[in-house]
Formats: sequence, C-alpha cells, structure tokens
Amino acid sequence: MSNQRQASSASQVPHLSPAELSYLYTSLSLPKTPIRPDGRSPTQFRPLTAETNILPGTNGSARIGFADGTQAIVGVKAEVEKTILSNETLARNDGGVGGEQEGSAAVGGHGSWVQMSIEIPGFRDDDALPVFLSEMMRESLVGAVGTDETSDMTGGLKGRLVINKRWHWRLYIDVLLLSQPLAYPLPLLSLTTHLALLSTKLPKLKSQGEEDPFFDDDWAVAEYLYPRPSLSSGAKSSARSSFVRPPVTLLVISVGENIIFDPNREEIAVADAVLAISITRDSEAGNLKLLSIRTVDPPSRLTQPGVPNSENVSMLGAVAPTEDVAVLNPATGEEEVPGVWRPRRGGVKRSVIAEMVKTALKKGGVGEEVLEGLEGVEVS
Amino acid sequence: MMADRRRINGPPGGTRPAVFASNLQSGTSATDRAQRQRQPSELRKIFLKTGLIPTASGSSYLEFEPSASLAAARANPKSLIPPSSALKLACTVHGPKPLPRSAAFSPNLVLTTHVKYAPFAARQRKGHIRDSSERDLGVHLETALRGAIIAERWPKSGLDITITILEAEDDRWWGSAPDSHDASWGMMNVLAGCITAASAAIADAHIDCLDLVAGGVAAIVSDEPSGTSTGVPKLMLDTDPAEHRSILSACVVAYMPARDEITELWLKGDSSKASLEDGDTRTGHEALIDGAVDAARGAHTVLAEAVRESLLRTVGQA
Amino acid sequence: MGIIILPPVVEDIVPRHEESDDSMSVDSDEDVEMSGVRSPKRARIGNETVSTGVVTPGEVVTDDPQWMRGHGTYVTPLSTSIIATVAGTVQKTNKLLSVHPLRARYTPEIGDLVVGRIVEVQSKRWKVDVAAPLLAQLPLSAINLPGGILRRRTSSDELQIRTFFSEGDLVVAEVQSVHQDGSASLHTRSLKYGKLRNGVFLAVTGTGGSGASSSTTKGGVGAGALRPGAGSGMGGVVRSRRQVWTVNTHNGGGDVDVILGVNGYIWISKHADGAAAASSATENVSITRMEEMVSTSIYSSQNDVIAPQTRREIARLAQCIQVLVQGGVRVDEETVMDAYEASLQVDLEVGDDDDEDEETRHEGREYLEGAKSRRILELVVKRVG
Repeated sequence: MSNQRQASSASQVPHLSPAELSYLYTSLSLPKTPIRPDGRSPTQFRPLTAETNILPGTNGSARIGFADGTQAIVGVKAEVEKTILSNETLARNDGGVGGEQEGSAAVGGHGSWVQMSIEIPGFRDDDALPVFLSEMMRESLVGAVGTDETSDMTGGLKGRLVINKRWHWRLYIDVLLLSQPLAYPLPLLSLTTHLALLSTKLPKLKSQGEEDPFFDDDWAVAEYLYPRPSLSSGAKSSARSSFVRPPVTLLVISVGENIIFDPNREEIAVADAVLAISITRDSEAGNLKLLSIRTVDPPSRLTQPGVPNSENVSMLGAVAPTEDVAVLNPATGEEEVPGVWRPRRGGVKRSVIAEMVKTALKKGGVGEEVLEGLEGVEVS
Repeated sequence: MMADRRRINGPPGGTRPAVFASNLQSGTSATDRAQRQRQPSELRKIFLKTGLIPTASGSSYLEFEPSASLAAARANPKSLIPPSSALKLACTVHGPKPLPRSAAFSPNLVLTTHVKYAPFAARQRKGHIRDSSERDLGVHLETALRGAIIAERWPKSGLDITITILEAEDDRWWGSAPDSHDASWGMMNVLAGCITAASAAIADAHIDCLDLVAGGVAAIVSDEPSGTSTGVPKLMLDTDPAEHRSILSACVVAYMPARDEITELWLKGDSSKASLEDGDTRTGHEALIDGAVDAARGAHTVLAEAVRESLLRTVGQA
Repeated sequence: MGIIILPPVVEDIVPRHEESDDSMSVDSDEDVEMSGVRSPKRARIGNETVSTGVVTPGEVVTDDPQWMRGHGTYVTPLSTSIIATVAGTVQKTNKLLSVHPLRARYTPEIGDLVVGRIVEVQSKRWKVDVAAPLLAQLPLSAINLPGGILRRRTSSDELQIRTFFSEGDLVVAEVQSVHQDGSASLHTRSLKYGKLRNGVFLAVTGTGGSGASSSTTKGGVGAGALRPGAGSGMGGVVRSRRQVWTVNTHNGGGDVDVILGVNGYIWISKHADGAAAASSATENVSITRMEEMVSTSIYSSQNDVIAPQTRREIARLAQCIQVLVQGGVRVDEETVMDAYEASLQVDLEVGDDDDEDEETRHEGREYLEGAKSRRILELVVKRVG
C-alpha cells in the first residue's frame, strides 16, 4: 500500500530520521563547499561501467552499471512500417500542388514512430513512475529536431526514420532496470538509452526514391542511426560537435544555494528542488541546447519533521524555553531552528532554476563532460 | 462472439468524421485557419467558480474563453467542424479524510490526484481507462499542488483530487496534418487549467495552503505562413495551439505570487531561437519561464477573486 | 572531470577454497598465513571423512554416523548422511556439524549491540528494522522514560509514544532476548543507548554477524579475510570486543564517535560526552541533575552545531568503511582506524604529485574511488596482515 502511494509521487521517500535529514541538509547547503556524504564535488558523477552492443538480437544495445550495483539494459529494435498518409497530404497530391510541399509526416517523421517502454522491478508498467519516466525521455528524444539542412538528420530522430514517402522505420526502445532502484533511476536510464541509440545501426538501403524499400543484407555496411564521426572521409571531417546526438537527461537538485548533480537517494531526500533537464548538442552552434525541463516532486516535502528541544514533550522542563532562536533560511524564506529538520514546502525561485540550467549547459560544464564521456565509450 | 446479427454494427474502434477533399481544398486556405486575435501578452478570459458540487468537500469549475475564431464560427457556421476548442474542466476535492487502516503512518497529508479526460473531451474519443498522458498529467498536478499545501497540518489524512476534463484544448489546428507537430502542446494548457482549478477547489475545501497556486502557459511560436521557411519566433502568452502554425517551444508553470516561487515547471522544445526585444539579455528558456509566470499571475487574479466571491456568497447566506 | 565511465571488468573467478579464510575447513599445512594456534586441531578433524571447503545445497557433507547435524544441514530418514542445505563452509563444534552460509542475513543474539530504524509504531511498542529476517520489537517498557529515575510507565506515556521514537528514527539498542521465531526484543535501558543524531547512517551489505565470521574474530585469526578481492562474502561488521569507540580525527575534525551495529548498520557522529550534551541542552544545571539531563536528551531530534571540518571527517570515515566493504574486508575498530589513517596517507601522496591548479585539485578530492580505494585497501591489508 505504502509502496503504491509513494510510487505516485514519482519519487520514493526513503525512511530517514529527522536528525539525519537535518545533518545532511546542513552539510549539503554549506555555502560554496557542500559536503556530500560520499565526498564528491557538486558536479561529480558516480563512476559507472558501460558497454554497448551486448545483445546480438537488437539493432543497438547498451548496459550501464552504477557502483552501487544498479544496472540498466537497453535494447533498440527497428521495424519497417508503411506510412499512413494523412488526409491533407492526399488532398495536396490530388490537387497537384504537391511536389515541394509534401505532407509533413512524410518529411518530418512522427513522434509515435518511437516507442519507449520502461520496466522497473516492483512497479507495474502503468504505475506513475515508469509512465512519467518514459514520457520524459521520449519527449526529449522526439523533440530533438536538428535544423541542419545538409545532414541526414533533418528533423532529428524522427526525420532519420523516414525511408521514403510511403515507408518508415519504427523504433522500439525497451529499457530494463535489473534491480529495484536505489535512487531515482532517471540518470541511469537516460545514459543507457543514449548509449544504446549511439550504437544502433540500420541496414543500408538499396532501393531508391519511392520504390518499396529493400536493404543490403550485409550487416557490415549497415549505417548508424546517429551518424558517427567518420575517420575515412575527409570531406565530412567537420567538428565532432556537428553531429546530431541523442539527448541525455540529467537530474539536478538544489540544496540551499548549492546545485548538485547526480544526487544519490539520501541527497534527493533533502533537496529543495529536483529538476530533470534534457540537453543535447546543437548541431549548428556546436554548443549545448536545452530540450526540456521537468520538475520532479522532491520527497523532502513528505518527510517527518524534527522536534526542537524546546517543544519536545519528553524533554519538558529540561531546557530553557528561550534557547532556540529560529533563523531565516535564505534559500526557502522559512523560519527554522538550526539543527531541526522541517519538511520543505513551497516551490523554487526562478533564479535557482536559471542557475541550474546554466550549470548544465555552459561551455565546459557538466553537460559537455557527460556527453563527451559517453562519446568516448567504445561502440563496437 | 455475441455480435448482433440483425443489424449492421458500426466499426468497433472510434471513427472520425468524414473529411472530403473538396472541403479541405478550401479549408486549407489561410482565412479559415484560426488566427490569434489577441496581443502576444493578452490572456484569454477565465471563468472560474467554486462550490458547484455539493457532495464534495471542495469543488470548482473552470472554463477558458473561446477564441475569437471559434466565437465567429459559432455565430456564422461555415463548416460543421469548429475551428478550435476551449478548455472546460471540473475539479472535486474529497478530504481530508482518514487514511485506510492498512496504510502506513504519515506525518503529512497524503495527496492523490486523478486527471481524466471525458470520452468526448477531445476530437478523438478517449477510453475510460486512464492512458499514459492522463497519468502523466496527474503526476505534474500532484507536484504542483504538493508544494502549495501545508501538509503537516493534516497528519494521518488523505486528500483526493479528481479532475474531469470536459473539453480539452487541441494540440494543433484540426486541419493540419495530424503529425505536423506531434508534441502535445494542448496538454500543457490543460495542465495549467488543472492547476488553477485544483487550487480553487482546495481553497474551497478549506485546506491550509501557502498561497493560491495558479497555472500559466507561454510558448515560442513562429507564425508567418511564408512557405517552408518559418517566420521569426516570438514569445506569446496563453497560446491556443489551434491558432498557431508552428510552436517551437512551450512552458507551463505552477506559480505562487506571494512567494515568487514555482512549484511545477514543464518546459519542452527548442527555446534557443526566440527573438526577444533588443536589450533583452535573457536566454530563450528564461524568457519563456518568465512569460509563463506572467500568464500565471494573470490567472491568479481570477483565482483569488473566485475564492473571495465564494466566501462572500457563503457569508451572505449565513 | 565530472564523470568517469569505465569498461566492464571481467572478474577472474579463481576457486578459492584452498585459501579460504574459514580456517576450520582448510588443511592447515598449505595455509601459510594461518596462525598456528588452532591448526593442529583443525588438521585432525579435516582428515576425517567429512567433505571440506565449500559445500553446495544437496551435497553430502558426511555419511559418518558419529556427527550430529547442525544449522544448514538436514538428514534424510533411513540414512546417516548429512546433507547441506545452504552453500557455505563446513564448521564443526565438537561433534556438531553445521554449514555456515558465506553471506547471510543478520541473526540476532542476546547481547548484540545493534543500530536499528523504527518502521512502525504500535500502541505499546515499536517495530525496528535491524536487517534481520524479522522486525525486532522494542517494548515501551524497555526504554528509559524521561525523568531520570526509573518510574512505572503510565498511560500518558503510551499516548505520547511517538515523542520518544517515531517512524524513521534511528536507535542504538541491545538485544535483550531472542524469541522462538528468531525475532529479537531490544532494550535501551542504558545511557549509551537511545536515539541517534548529529551524524550519518551507513548500511553495510554482506553483513557478518553470522557464526562463521564471529568465530574467526573470536579466535583472533582474521588474516584470511583481509585479502583484498578475496570475495565479498566475509566483508561486513563482525562481533568484536568494541563496537563503539571515539576517533580523534585529523584536519581539525575533533572527536567522532563510531557505532558499529553487529547487524551491519553503522552510525558515525560527532562525539557527544554526557556533560557536554547536558550543558548544550541547558546552561545552569546542578551536578545532581546531570543524569537526568543526559537521559532526557536521548529523545532529542535536534542536531548540535557541527563544524564543516567535523562533517568532512565523518564523510571520510563513512567512505573508508565503504571501501573496506567493497574490498571484502571485515569491518571492526582495527580495520576502520587503519583505513582512516591510510586514506589520510593517500591524500598526502596524491597531493604531492598533483600539478593541477588548486581549484581543480580541490574538486572532489575527498571522493575515494577507483585508484584511491585500491591504495587504501593495500595499506590496510599491509598493516593488519
């Protein structure tokens, strides 16, 4: 019952005592130099192990394991499917206006061609958490529209799936978490999906134009879904950043005035605000661009409050009543007794959101490091 | 199968009204397409009333003003298909009530939210079972409200919030190819309406909250129908997706003006191309969030007035 | 660098029964590191018709009728053979034959010092998670009621039971009795026990506390378990003489208390001696009321003011324990202190050959991962072994 209820809040509430929460919050909100329980710096990620192409039956796959033992496997499968032309396209073709102005679906692709399912042990597939996670990841995936007219990736992933006006690829992305999540599983799932998509190959098309498609059966000449920086062709040796890349979703929390990346379960439990920020490389400008932001309900709102000594019934008479002076927490604007945990309430200031996004996007910032790190994983 | 053999049954799935090519030919002309008549920062009027459902501890009903083109089409129908739709939704709040015996102890008020489209709410019929977009909306709404209510005032209690959407906002103009931009922009407007209505219903149920939390939407749209190339992207508040050719990015916030805080933020799409006024140094997403907050401020004035009105009404009866 | 992505490591699986740390089942002639105290006896037993080393479920341990079956074994009717029911090492106590699983959940024993988390509050008792298969119970009658003197519990105490301990609270307690079904009953009737605050909690996996590892420590032979990578089975907290001690930390951290619950739950906090705790609670208190003061502050959930230096050293200690557990090293006072010293030494080593500018070197320098953790393990093993 309690599991069901917590699942609906899209974040599990770990059982932590008010004293632990207060200790953790104060450590993490120390100005400029937060002390994380595992000693990491605010922007440091936990080390992880990654490998790709582990499933021979898929078009692309990846596995990522965190040091705490949680692992995710993603398999990508592609199928050829007939495009159902919309009324408008038909109408335009009948009127003979067509030609340049083709139906947008045939050119731009359709978001529903990418199907995503997330399986988390202990959750039903219609529970709020898997639904919320898959919507969040699918949204940034199909929303990543490249505007670079010259490359294959016009229209982003959706555009890449178009074979011709009548045929397209349908992509199934199946995400499997191997154990019950110890922390909010979003970063793990997103990074694994990113790697799996990077390693995804589609067979080479041999038919041309509007023919019914047929493919080269030589797997060696298959093409990457997301074109890789090719070593041989010097003509296309533009900067690595000019290639469209699948998005990654980062989990960012704010505690006091500090902004912390890749939080673990305990850190999320005391966060003032939790944001899921999806980013990708901008194929034109070469820097990062924002795809989506979603707030995640911080579990700190559901925690047990601590009792100040002055109000503690079991300590009555032992403490001078005037001793505890409530001070104003600058981050939340609430009055608090130092050392006593209060569940967070209220929302997040706009300046904090802007700061969080900036840290993720800025040049040489966390987002670039993550994307570069993932790029470095050998795709065999 | 227990099919009825004596009559001809309709197809088991949903059907869409027949659209004829000749009808479309004229329909695609720019004149019939819904056009935004409002200024970029002008909001639609909101009708909001609380306490309409006597059996619930709190309730509210919210309706957006129909767009100018819809009003015109109703007055002078050219086509059977309305050019756009206007949001209508009802919200009920049950509680605070004791948690079931089997539930674990909770020091805080336990909030559950349900968002359900009525089967007839959208152009395409919705099933009775909640689909993933409805569950997604429920999670967003819960996040938005949990930050506003003071949960520790009601330990060991539960609060159920149910929203029925009677008429949903379109994701795009009905005549556009259904795929031209398949992102569900209408859902964001629906969410903003849900937040405002739920906030009114919570106030009607006399649950302590920090502030009335209001929802607002802003979007970056490029409207000029100049062939394939899209026009200059502009920031608009309270967008009706049916009125715009291309929405690049949109954002919905749940905002508490008294504390200047956002309890829920959902932004998607590419906001980097927005052309802001000269001298505006904000980045696209910041401008978008600020725009949504401005829209929420507007909704908040209506919200506060509606709550005050219902209070005065009960005082008047007493 | 903010993120480290490593290729997967294929662990070499070497059959390790030859150098198994469970000395009971090993032929002592081959085990060089074994201290000679108990070896002759072991060799004698090992010579008999009992299968040694690691057994798997269903494997016949012995068919010699002289043995009695113990935990982890069963006998079929009409047969004298003793068959293992768990995978683990064979252990003999006189004529009793038992198999101890390499990795087991905590089984409470009377007198164990445990750290537990309250998961449920009932009308006259709390249910406590102590990492055992069953929840332990802490009756209202088994705690020191506020007011100092031992007094009868009243109905008003029952009504305000949540003011003593509430859901999520951590307690340090002692196992008072073990019931028929294996569940424990706890008590906190000592000033040492009570609610925990001012620190961090750590749950260690692969918890010891099962007979196998405790016997190794009691015998004073733990060297085998210290081989890094020797297997995670033996990592974890073991029953030892001192489960609670105070560390005088470096870098201006002051005194830090470490509580190693036998059940694998660990609490590391700022040191609070009785007098200081009392005086922090109130200024003017007579010495006669001191006892009373201390006993009341055990129900506080308000943290004292803790300096950032202390917090850093607490985090460092917590990581050292994690490193030990990941390396499969048992956790007790000796190893924790060694790991702590080693981590300081490693910090100096790293600090010397690091040419990066102050800013980046400072970033995450407290994070003990990969190379650092291996170095710490090496040092610990060298010292202990």
